[in-house]
Amino acid sequence: MSPTEGSPAAADTLVLIPALNEQATVAEVVHSAREALGCDVLVIDDGSDDDTAAQAVGAGAMVVRHPFNLGVGGAIRTGMRVASDQGRRFVLQLDADGQHEPLEAKRLLDRVVVDGADLAVGSRFGNAAYDVSWGRRTMMRLLARTISRRIGVRIDDTTSGFRAFGPAAVAEFRRDYPTEYLSDTVEALLLAHDAGFTIVVEPVQMHPRQGGVPSSGRTRSAVRLLRLWLVILIHPVRAERRRRAADEP
Amino acid sequence: MNLEIFVLVVACINLAVVLEFVRRRKLAESFALLWTGVAVGAFVLILARPVIDRFSSFVGIESGTSVVFSLAILFLVIVNIHLSVHVTRLDDRVEELATEIALLNGIRHPDGDENAPDGSR
Repeated sequence: MSPTEGSPAAADTLVLIPALNEQATVAEVVHSAREALGCDVLVIDDGSDDDTAAQAVGAGAMVVRHPFNLGVGGAIRTGMRVASDQGRRFVLQLDADGQHEPLEAKRLLDRVVVDGADLAVGSRFGNAAYDVSWGRRTMMRLLARTISRRIGVRIDDTTSGFRAFGPAAVAEFRRDYPTEYLSDTVEALLLAHDAGFTIVVEPVQMHPRQGGVPSSGRTRSAVRLLRLWLVILIHPVRAERRRRAADEP
Repeated sequence: MNLEIFVLVVACINLAVVLEFVRRRKLAESFALLWTGVAVGAFVLILARPVIDRFSSFVGIESGTSVVFSLAILFLVIVNIHLSVHVTRLDDRVEELATEIALLNGIRHPDGDENAPDGSR
């Protein structure tokens, strides 16, 4: 099995890195993640048409490849299945564009491994957003307030893709993980709360993206955001239905 | 009388196109049934014009044409919603299949890593 340089939990942990056309940064991210955590790394190549997969393998990661683009949520779902099939108890999710600091990843992972939380979310300090417009900032704040109230934990950065999952969360999200854009981060929080998981927020610092192209234009993001609000609004009713369906034999 | 002929022609074209698609297997029979139904509905409307006029005055709409239009639009909206539901389900299935294919194609392990985990823990 993999070298257990770090804690004994290192062999029980799989680092998931969803990557879409990130050939410029993925090798470096894989490298530093392995160095800092001593865990196996799985890069989910979400239908890239560049050299992402080869770069990742070269840097010592396992790679699984989607036949076409499924989005970050789809990548995490695939990753959760692999993790669970390999019998891993912990999962750390990391961005491939170098926004997340591997040393902070250790801290995030410890929240689930040592402190026993089910889901740990790395959140930027307050509103430490660097390039964000007024409208977007307001939106993010509104989102943060709504979600915080729902899940009973204050979280500023609801769309953060810097997360650690404990055994119960891996088992739950193996079955299903929201795949639509923004649902994979925000709706996942609501689902985790429904499942009765302990959610903790760990303040982290993030780097500006080191490469890659930020996704999508204005109208499209507006529609996606609108869709997200619909998801949030309808969620309580859905949760009710899901509970009832689970109760029935 | 011109209106009746016009509707008749359109309905016939509709029917012909649908049947041709079915013949070439480009349209599932269940959907063909739906659109054939539409063509037949148009025939019925031609014959049932007096009934429509009576119905429209009964509901309080001045012209029978408006009634037909409203019903047609309503019908199309319902069909569209139905198709959206259908597409959503197909979408979910495609996603699930893509995930399965990714997993079936297997995991590439790091070059020259003899410790490569193989999932058989």
